[in-house]
Amino acid sequence: MLREEELKTFVEGTTRYFEVAAQQPATIGSPYLLEGETAMHDYTGMINVSGKREGVVYFTAPRAMLTVLLMKMQESDFSHESMRDLVGEVANTISGNARRDFGHDFVISVPSVFAGEKPQIPQSPGARAFVIPIHWRSHSAKLVVSLT
Amino acid sequence: MQSSGADRVRRLLTAAAGALLAALMALVLIVGFRLATRIRANVALLQRASLLETYPSALSQQLTALRERLGTLEYTGGVHQELADSVAGFDRNLAALERRPGVDRPVLRAAGRLWKAYTPVLAPVLAYSGEPYSDTDFGSSLSVSGKIYYTQVRRAELFAQSSAPALHRRLAALSAALQQRTSSAASRLRLLLSVGVLAVLLLGAAAAYLQLARSRGERAARAAEEQTRDILHTVREGLFLLDADYRIGTVWSQALTHLFGREDFAGLSFEELLRDKVSPATLVTATKYIKLLWGERAHENLMKSINPLGQLEVVLDNGRGGKETHYLQFNFHRVVGPQGVKHVLCTVADITSNVMLARELHEAQESAHSQIDMMVSMLHSDPLQVGGFLDTAAAGLKHVNAILKEPARSHAEFSRKLTGLSRELHSIKGEASALNLMSIAQRVHHLEDMVEELKGKSELTGNDFLPVVLKLDELLAHLRAVREVILRLSTLKDGTPSPEGTLSSPILRLRERASGAEELAATLQGLARKLAEDHGKPFTLSLEGLEAVPAAYLPTVKDCLIQMLRNAAVHGIEPDAVRRAGSKSVTGLVRVQFRRLESGCELVFEDDGAGLSPETLKEAAVRKQLLTAEQAAELDNRSALALIFKPGFSTRAEVSMDAGRGTGMDVVAKAVYALGGRIGVSTHPGRFTRFKIALPAPSQTAVA
Amino acid sequence: MSSDTPLDRRPVKLLIVDDSNIVRRRIERSQQFDDLQVVGTAANGFEALELARRTDPDLVTMDLTMPQMDGIECITRLVKLKPGLRILVISALADKATAVEAMERGANGFLNKPFSDRQLNEAIAELMY
Repeated sequence: MLREEELKTFVEGTTRYFEVAAQQPATIGSPYLLEGETAMHDYTGMINVSGKREGVVYFTAPRAMLTVLLMKMQESDFSHESMRDLVGEVANTISGNARRDFGHDFVISVPSVFAGEKPQIPQSPGARAFVIPIHWRSHSAKLVVSLT
Repeated sequence: MQSSGADRVRRLLTAAAGALLAALMALVLIVGFRLATRIRANVALLQRASLLETYPSALSQQLTALRERLGTLEYTGGVHQELADSVAGFDRNLAALERRPGVDRPVLRAAGRLWKAYTPVLAPVLAYSGEPYSDTDFGSSLSVSGKIYYTQVRRAELFAQSSAPALHRRLAALSAALQQRTSSAASRLRLLLSVGVLAVLLLGAAAAYLQLARSRGERAARAAEEQTRDILHTVREGLFLLDADYRIGTVWSQALTHLFGREDFAGLSFEELLRDKVSPATLVTATKYIKLLWGERAHENLMKSINPLGQLEVVLDNGRGGKETHYLQFNFHRVVGPQGVKHVLCTVADITSNVMLARELHEAQESAHSQIDMMVSMLHSDPLQVGGFLDTAAAGLKHVNAILKEPARSHAEFSRKLTGLSRELHSIKGEASALNLMSIAQRVHHLEDMVEELKGKSELTGNDFLPVVLKLDELLAHLRAVREVILRLSTLKDGTPSPEGTLSSPILRLRERASGAEELAATLQGLARKLAEDHGKPFTLSLEGLEAVPAAYLPTVKDCLIQMLRNAAVHGIEPDAVRRAGSKSVTGLVRVQFRRLESGCELVFEDDGAGLSPETLKEAAVRKQLLTAEQAAELDNRSALALIFKPGFSTRAEVSMDAGRGTGMDVVAKAVYALGGRIGVSTHPGRFTRFKIALPAPSQTAVA
Repeated sequence: MSSDTPLDRRPVKLLIVDDSNIVRRRIERSQQFDDLQVVGTAANGFEALELARRTDPDLVTMDLTMPQMDGIECITRLVKLKPGLRILVISALADKATAVEAMERGANGFLNKPFSDRQLNEAIAELMY
């Protein structure tokens, strides 16, 4: 079962990403448990976790938010590919940073990116998914952590 | 050591002062000796010169005395002899002076010449040997030779008297010169001795000073050494230096002994220090890190930031023959010399108590997860009512989650949630308490406390709700566990041997209260609710005719229905999006029908889900290597459907708790065959899957 | 002016390795060194090796989590290919053991993602001079 400080690791990793990459920290909305539905935005970057913990961590964001984020990062390429790239990189950074607390045995995959199509989220037995809404400027994204 | 340079200079200076002192002493001694020798020689010469000085007047007096004696006819032999002695003495002494260095030669020669002039007058006097007196009866008178003798003496006397002052003057000059030389030599010697004494005194003082300074330095060094020893004995961290071979130096702090339970560390490699105390992977990382410290590749800050031994779990001997887990914090500092890294200073602190404190806090939280309190609660509650409560609670918590899910960014929006959360939680807690489900009530209470505490906060953010959602998750997990226990308690009712013997009393109670069929129905409904919740697939379970199940068949029927129910929930009923797309009602339906026929019994199990696809089943069978691709291709639909009864068959790729372990329908089929029954399956893609199980009529004995 | 510049002050050749296009462009854009010349960018270990052979870089920024050949393997091979090559790992992997492993394989610096322009330039400067 996920512990508070572990969940916080991911949350802080996400808000910090915005702070460092776009000089403006994100805030989080009210976290809740995922029930049945998979609430996906336009682009989703997903990391499979194995080793010490099993499950997935994914970051899903609407196109508009990613566009502004890219702008803030002085990018001028707002193509579909660029969106996929960014959302994967965010997911990778959040999960990679989590190794600071989880350690070397927290094995993370390269990001899988979904855009539009419904992602195949592997369900881990006994792991519920925590949804943390991420607010940044006027946009909202979601961080979903589902780990045993 | 900081003072070593000054110390060396001081030692060098002392040695130099000593050498200088010895050289000076030798010089003073040699020169002084020579001076003293010369002075002694000069003094001897001076004595001779002084003696010589007396001769001229002595000669005159002796000659006068001789003449007077001759005049008075007295005995002359003695005076004659004295005169001879004087002349001989003068000659001897003059000759002695002549060979001596330092004698004023011109003066000596002049004196010699003057003395030589004496010889012609003195020689006849000295040569006289006759009898000067002749005795007659008239008395005595000078003999003839005596008269001559008298004349000669008189002449010599006159010569001597006239020559004596000149000779004396020469001789006086001679001794004055010698006197001069002697006194100047003496004053030189005095000077030398004074200088020597002064120099010796100075050097002695210098040496004494240096010696003093050295001993002060030594004392300081001893004091420093003592302080170092005190530090090493007292400091609570393990301290030691690693050399370029990653080995421990000759000095380490006492604490290291306590930390690692060994006395001698000298020459021990870092790897040896940790071997058998940490996991092999950690040892590898630690060793790599230590090696990196010697490289020039990474600067201090980077090395510090990647130190993997900041909190190292080690297993140490506890000194009583046992093992103990400790947490050590290693820090490394490079000691850099002119040729790069010289040593690495390691400090080791035992941070076990800090880590344990954090862990205890965590374990205190974890223990809330423990199911023991739940089991205890269950023993004091009515299982039949618990099922109903669990449904209400699940609905309530679903609402709680829905409240959390409402978008919120401002304090006001976050704050609004709290009221709703309180209301929901309070009502769940009330019900739980009423049913004596203390394990649940306590957890809800805890969650309620969290919410109440948030009400007091002036600036709410999403972060404040992280503990709430985690607690909610924990509570839901607990409710699932309670449901599981209820299910297990009820499935044990047939007197199947209980794995947990201690639980037999509630089982017996259950048996008294509910008939087998009722209990089976409750179990299945409970499971259905749980499955619907877990998989997010709402469905209704309709049960018909279970009261007709013969007691002998109940265990098998129950096992089969549980398995089929799980399969239906996982494989059969589709997610709501799919159902909507297929114009089906969002809530699925699972029907169970048991009938007694003349020939025996019939059990029908049917779900209105996705149905079975023969092609998918064939693919799965090939993937599982139950069939070759060729065999699969030849299979007709009927045989393909029958594949699901084959041992080791399952269509789900991943294993989930409810299905997918590859032991689904094959177990059901096996149980049916064991009772002499048959099992068949029919399906329509997108519409339904139906299992029909035919069982023979139970034998009389079995019924009884 | 050119006579003032010593002959050995040729630009430092930089190869950027990261599976994210955005991160590659970001590094290229954010570095503020006049004497640093980006000679190539690669999206995985194989591309990096291939480019390193062709462009003979002095400095490489290296991601670790990449498809096909990951960064750790790539560092090992790059160091074999060109001993003395300076490698700056830029990765999201924030655990100590990964950093130690990378350094042990031959990396010279380690920068965690996400990074600011200042952090990037400081990390590069550390390896350039």
